Amino acid sequence: MAKPPDDRRLELLQGTLDMLILRTLQWGSQHGHGIGQAIQAQSDDLLRVETGSLYPALHRLVKRGWLKAEWGVSEANQKAKYYQLTAAGKAQLVREQDRWSQLVDAISRVMNPVQANKE
Amino acid sequence: MRPDPIEFDDEIRGHMALSVKERIERGEDPDAARLAALREFGNVTLMRESMRAIWQPRWLGVAEASWQDLRVAMRSLRHAKGLAATVIVTLALGIGANAAIFSVVRQVLLRPLVNRDEARLVYIRQRALGIGAENATFSVSEIRDLRSSVSTFSAFGDFSTIDFTLAGFGEPRTVRAGVVGGSFFEVMGLRPVLGRLIEPSDDGPDAAGVAVLTHRFWSSSLESDPSVVGRTIRLGSRSARVIGVLEPAVPYPEETEIIANVVTSPHHLDATMETSRTHRMTELFGRLAPGATLEAARDELAAAHAAMMLRHPGAYPASAKIDLAVTPLRDQITAPARTILLMLLAAAGVVFAIAASNVANLILARSVRRERELAVRAALGASPAALRRTLLAESALLCGAGAVLGVALARPLVSVVGRYAARFSVRALDVTVDASLLWVGAALAMAAAVLLAYIPRLPASTASAPASRGWAVPHGLRLTPGTNRRLRAFAVTQIALSFVLLAGAGAILAALVALQTASTGYNLRQVLAVDVPLPIEAFGQQSIAFFEEATARVERLPGVERVAVGNVVPWRDAGNAGPGFRFTVEGRGSATDDPHARLRNVGPGFFAAVGVPIIAGRDFSDDDRRGNELVVIVSRSIAEQMFPDGDALDRRLWWTDPYFGKPQPRRIVGIAADADDERIVPGPALTIYHPFRQMPFAGRLFVHASGDPHALVTPVTQIIRGMSAEQPVERAETLADVRADVLAPERLKAFVFSGFAGVALLIAVVGIAGVLAFSVSARTREFGVRLAVGSAPRQLLARVLSEGTGIAAIGIAAGAAGGYALAWIAARSVDNLPLPGVLPVLGAATLLLAAAIIASLLPAARASRVDVVQALRSE
Repeated sequence: MAKPPDDRRLELLQGTLDMLILRTLQWGSQHGHGIGQAIQAQSDDLLRVETGSLYPALHRLVKRGWLKAEWGVSEANQKAKYYQLTAAGKAQLVREQDRWSQLVDAISRVMNPVQANKE
Repeated sequence: MRPDPIEFDDEIRGHMALSVKERIERGEDPDAARLAALREFGNVTLMRESMRAIWQPRWLGVAEASWQDLRVAMRSLRHAKGLAATVIVTLALGIGANAAIFSVVRQVLLRPLVNRDEARLVYIRQRALGIGAENATFSVSEIRDLRSSVSTFSAFGDFSTIDFTLAGFGEPRTVRAGVVGGSFFEVMGLRPVLGRLIEPSDDGPDAAGVAVLTHRFWSSSLESDPSVVGRTIRLGSRSARVIGVLEPAVPYPEETEIIANVVTSPHHLDATMETSRTHRMTELFGRLAPGATLEAARDELAAAHAAMMLRHPGAYPASAKIDLAVTPLRDQITAPARTILLMLLAAAGVVFAIAASNVANLILARSVRRERELAVRAALGASPAALRRTLLAESALLCGAGAVLGVALARPLVSVVGRYAARFSVRALDVTVDASLLWVGAALAMAAAVLLAYIPRLPASTASAPASRGWAVPHGLRLTPGTNRRLRAFAVTQIALSFVLLAGAGAILAALVALQTASTGYNLRQVLAVDVPLPIEAFGQQSIAFFEEATARVERLPGVERVAVGNVVPWRDAGNAGPGFRFTVEGRGSATDDPHARLRNVGPGFFAAVGVPIIAGRDFSDDDRRGNELVVIVSRSIAEQMFPDGDALDRRLWWTDPYFGKPQPRRIVGIAADADDERIVPGPALTIYHPFRQMPFAGRLFVHASGDPHALVTPVTQIIRGMSAEQPVERAETLADVRADVLAPERLKAFVFSGFAGVALLIAVVGIAGVLAFSVSARTREFGVRLAVGSAPRQLLARVLSEGTGIAAIGIAAGAAGGYALAWIAARSVDNLPLPGVLPVLGAATLLLAAAIIASLLPAARASRVDVVQALRSE
């Protein structure tokens, strides 16, 4: 996999990492590395999550009760922590998704008035 | 729930393994893959920290940051040891004085009494302000009348004091004893720690004699010996059984060693005590009935008292202005100490304010010196909050250290202040170090810390964006007008406050000097006064014979010039003889507004012995005895007031007080100079002296020594013990000792306030010197320019000196204005507030100005010696 040129890479919008993590875990449990990879892959390499932000974010979500963590063994045959959505986490994901679409909608109305009006 | 720190590492390791494996699968070299994974991961330590921070409770994060700040502060203060030491010591003085005095004030004025339900305990006092008697006490008949006519009190307790010769505990001694009725302890709400207290069944002339020991007497003189209960002791001619020990309680109205029932005192059983309305010697306490308010009780008592006075007009002359004062016992006990303690507290508060403003000055100067450091830190991204936190940490450290030292200082101070306050209120006797010391110290330190942290201005708040200024931070000292103004304002505050303290201390000192130099009319140094209290039953022929022999024997001692007997040791026995008695002189008639005079019984030679001159007529002689003509000697004031024509000699006077029964005219054979033996500030004294042989109630010997009077104490004691082995011989002191004793509270007061004022002056001098020194060093360039354009060094010297004097002058003016305003406000809540006279005020002003000039000399000299070339190059 070729590295994308740096100028193509997007800065993660403040506050969206939590939502991306919740979304990634929607289909099952995953370890930190996997979550990072998944976000990167799903965004066609446009988004890249720094491990320095990823792990603190995971812990924050666990502390809030939206994720739960379990120890397991990874593909590398190493101990790894697997994260999983809780019921509260699922509810939170729905809320965040709603807010996100409203935000995107509002911003695009401002940025592309014609397009938005057409819809 | 909270993961172990090790788990963080496990998780990080797991991530790395996956990352490396992936890279190797992509075909990277294992070593390169590991390196790349590490690089990609970033700062492992940082991440571990931030993961831990998530799981930490919030306060822990704050605590950690504060600890960090404190460590930085500690390091930074280590470079400014002199400053830190000055600040800490200054604050410690301020905090220590305040904590100690507040602690005493709290315990003396605010702490409840141990008495059960003390808020309902009331002290009732009969006053006769018309004859200057604050406390005229009550007679038994009066108490009986009041008791029977009020309903707002559930019970009354009565207490009178009498001296007993106590035998049964070691050597026979005279003790002060309380004589109480059976309701006294119930009304006072006091409990025994041992045995029982006096009860209603102990009342009446047929009860057995019983005595209760006060806790202080039992624990100090009897070493808390529990076996004393049940023992029989002798009180004068009667015996009494010790039935119990009272719990520790504030002794009021008087500190006594024992408290006995009425039957132990023959005096309390005789007819005068029982029936004479004017034979007043009893104090009265009351317990408010349930539901009764103090106001209601006051009104009801006043009405009952007025009705009683109407029924017996003879006993209550209108001119005496007799009335009742009804106060809660606690207020009564603390009242004398209130003014003095509040004054002390105010003085301590002023010292703290001076200390704080001086410290503020030092910190302000320091912050100007480190403006560069702060600017650099702001440029590197420190937020104003972070800078403020650093400053707060420094000041918290300084103030904390100051508080610790201050509280350490306060501990011994508490007992000193307590002993001092004990002269005004018995409550202060048991003042102890308590926790209020700590929280007052902590609160003051906290206040100072916040104040200090907010004094310096932050660079970020002055410049819009420090980073944009680049390195344009000041290199030398730059004194902005604002900072300069603040420095001066603090210095002026210190001067103003010091001025108030100095003037106050000056006033107290002036009063003391006036007292100490006042002419008392006595020969203080050469006269030894000794208490030789005879038992009450011995008064009469027996006491005349006893003292005749005693004076004759003592007179033969080498070193004794004269000996005489008397009944009142000046000042020491003040008040014992009551407010005086009414009398009149021939040709004047008698009315209820007869003047009052003090009655003294003295032997022949008394006036010569104590050094009071007889200005007309003669002294008493051995012939002035019972059976011969009744004679008196009067003081000059009586002679002048009653016989304005100057013909007092050989005229007659007699007592009209009912206490004396049928009036007996006595011829005036002599006039003595006024000698005020009651008040410590001598004034006109209306005194009538009786020859001891005609009125043989006396128990004091006055020995005029040619050499050191103290050397006579042992031989005199031996002579008297040789005459009667059981006779107490006590309290041998010269009149100068007695005077020193009664002046001790005044002296102590002057000492304490001078101490405060001295500390304040010292701090203020340091303050002025500091401000000027700083201002001079910040203006080196200015002085250089001035010198370069032709100013003479002397002009610069004068300039700095005048700046210092200017600060002092403004401070003094502000202090005078503020001080009088404060005194005016304080005078509303505090009685008898002494206002300084002109002399102390001028003295304080002069002292401060002189101090200011001395303090400015050093900086001024430095300013005049500025090296021009160096100064101009310095920026």
